[in-house]
Amino acid sequence: MTQTYDAIIIGAGAIGAPIAYELSKMGYKTLSLDKTHDAGEGSTAGSCAIVRAHYSTEDGVATAYEGMKYWLDWENYLDHVEDEKGLAKYMNTGSILIKSQGHDWKKVQRHYDAVGVTYEEWDNDQVVQHVPVVNMKEYWPVKRPEDPAFFDPPKKDLQGAIFCPEGGYVNDPALSTHNTMRAAQEKGGTFIFNVEVTEIRSQNNRVTGVTLSNGTQYDADIVVNCGGPHSFKVNQMAEGVFEGCNIKTKALRHEVMHCPSPEGYDYLNDGYHMSDGDVGCYYRPEVGNMFLIGSEDPDCDPQEWVDPDNFYSGKGEPGQNNQLTMGQWKAQCYRLGRRIESLQVPEQPKGVVDLYDCSDDWIPVYDKSDMDGFYMAIGTSGNQFKNAPVVGRMMAELIDAVEKGQDHDNDPYQYTLKYVPGRVIDMGFYSRKRQINYDSSFSVNG
Amino acid sequence: MKIFVCVKHVPDSAAVITVKDDCRIDNRVTHIINPYDEHAITGACQIRKTCSSAEVVALCLGRDTALDGLRSAMAMGADRGILIRTDQDHDAMDTAAALKAAMDRDGGPDLVFTGKEAIDTNGGETLFRLGALYRMPAMSNVVSVVLDRNQADIICEEEKGTRTEFEVRLPCILGAAKGLNQPRYPTMPDIIKSRKKPIDILDYADLDLDPLPAATRVVRLTACEEDRNPAQLKGDADQVADQIIQVLKHQARVI
Repeated sequence: MTQTYDAIIIGAGAIGAPIAYELSKMGYKTLSLDKTHDAGEGSTAGSCAIVRAHYSTEDGVATAYEGMKYWLDWENYLDHVEDEKGLAKYMNTGSILIKSQGHDWKKVQRHYDAVGVTYEEWDNDQVVQHVPVVNMKEYWPVKRPEDPAFFDPPKKDLQGAIFCPEGGYVNDPALSTHNTMRAAQEKGGTFIFNVEVTEIRSQNNRVTGVTLSNGTQYDADIVVNCGGPHSFKVNQMAEGVFEGCNIKTKALRHEVMHCPSPEGYDYLNDGYHMSDGDVGCYYRPEVGNMFLIGSEDPDCDPQEWVDPDNFYSGKGEPGQNNQLTMGQWKAQCYRLGRRIESLQVPEQPKGVVDLYDCSDDWIPVYDKSDMDGFYMAIGTSGNQFKNAPVVGRMMAELIDAVEKGQDHDNDPYQYTLKYVPGRVIDMGFYSRKRQINYDSSFSVNG
Repeated sequence: MKIFVCVKHVPDSAAVITVKDDCRIDNRVTHIINPYDEHAITGACQIRKTCSSAEVVALCLGRDTALDGLRSAMAMGADRGILIRTDQDHDAMDTAAALKAAMDRDGGPDLVFTGKEAIDTNGGETLFRLGALYRMPAMSNVVSVVLDRNQADIICEEEKGTRTEFEVRLPCILGAAKGLNQPRYPTMPDIIKSRKKPIDILDYADLDLDPLPAATRVVRLTACEEDRNPAQLKGDADQVADQIIQVLKHQARVI
């Protein structure tokens, strides 16, 4: 027997779970479907879960700053739901943005001023005072260790940093998503795992429901694509939706490294989150007194666009599968090794390989589609975990408004932020119909 | 004093191994220095600290890609490297003969370190075959080395945590175990310095090794499918803690 819901959310990851939660809170009867065995166990589990305010656009900064307030007030956001796995923790380390040619930090600073983000400017000595293991030499442009120039001695000093006392990371991104699922369930949401959507049904350009690989059908007038790295495949299942998007998404393979902190430095407890465009890395503390080293996608690094189904099933050539590579291990650890000369780099790579759901301009698509009732929260491009609770609310309000008749394509929904005073986000910014936004960093920085 | 460290470039233990042609593994996976060899390099470098005239030479039989392993060995402290270049897989007898020939060309060893075994084949043979070829003492699972001129006090770990102490005259062959030291991984200054260290490349064919009277050849390699049956520890925090203690005591036997 076909079961009917008000809204079906495809994907129970960092983005899908809060949308289910917010729709449930608004009284929608929701069903979340996911291929994996539990909430947040897809690409969310591989997220670095960084929480920082700096983005290349003012709306990006405002949304991230808003998101921070949710993480700071996590129990309240979840309406004090109980989770048998415990609650995820937001670790407020503070966030250091190195002033470098790798970031348009002056633009970021303007956005901070416009949005009202609290920050301090530090000179090089202040940075070293707070992070005694670093040197503040300039290594720009970012290079790979295969390039002999990588090892050239630095000639200039950097220009200090911008420090935000608010910033850090969430200690367990999968757990935080599980928390959100429990909160959604408390409000009536249903979650089904280990199922794969193979068809999105529609009639007269109105979505009517989904069909699973086992033949089960669920009906709903609303379907939301939160498929993460599978988002483009989900859009392709809905007639005319993929073709109606000017901004497309693809799955981009990414490696994140875990390298032990230098001897005598308690990075786990004393360290900061740092964005270091000068060496093309960001880093934050990780359990075991490790440096978690992510890449800021410098131009010299290869981009591996992969089929997400092959990737997650362990298929693909070396460098395209879910195994760390020696080349990238050395690239990321050696880059940090330039900034921190006492960093010891083990021979064996350790870290995480996962996928970004990457959009053409690395800015997400939070939008309706050309099919009535079909929505998408996709293209998160490795930089939206921090915004997930905001996105949940934003998408729920957008869906509600459109279902009540708002012509979002011509009269974009205006989302009023709850914690950043007087700030309204024009959701046309995230439109699928937009032209590529060249203000973007075209990197994980968004 | 010349200390040779025989290193092997092996597939990363975290890599997914696939078998090709039923008899070899797909070599395109990430390769690393055999982890036991890291202890061997660190052990050799520790001895060099106490003996100013000592030189540590990393020696490897392998493909061109093994140059990366030698570079890593030099970043960890070896003074220079020698690659015996080959496109083939070699058994332990052949490997020992090639290593010996290369060492002899380089003046011969005063001390040889190897890992106690390589994690790809887990044979643990090569160090003993080297000992046999050289007619030198060979010891495996070495956890302590104290040199006094041309003599060494060696401690080897046996099964079940028992240890045996030896007194040997140099030269000898030592198979390093994990307990020998904590490998010292390179920093960026070490890596930069190592780029200037020389690597000699010898072709295996140029060693003119005498044909061996016997040889082994892998005729079939079968992937071992490991059954994993994880058990969930249930109960409140105290009960789970008790169960963890029991597992550590009786199954892992580490406490």
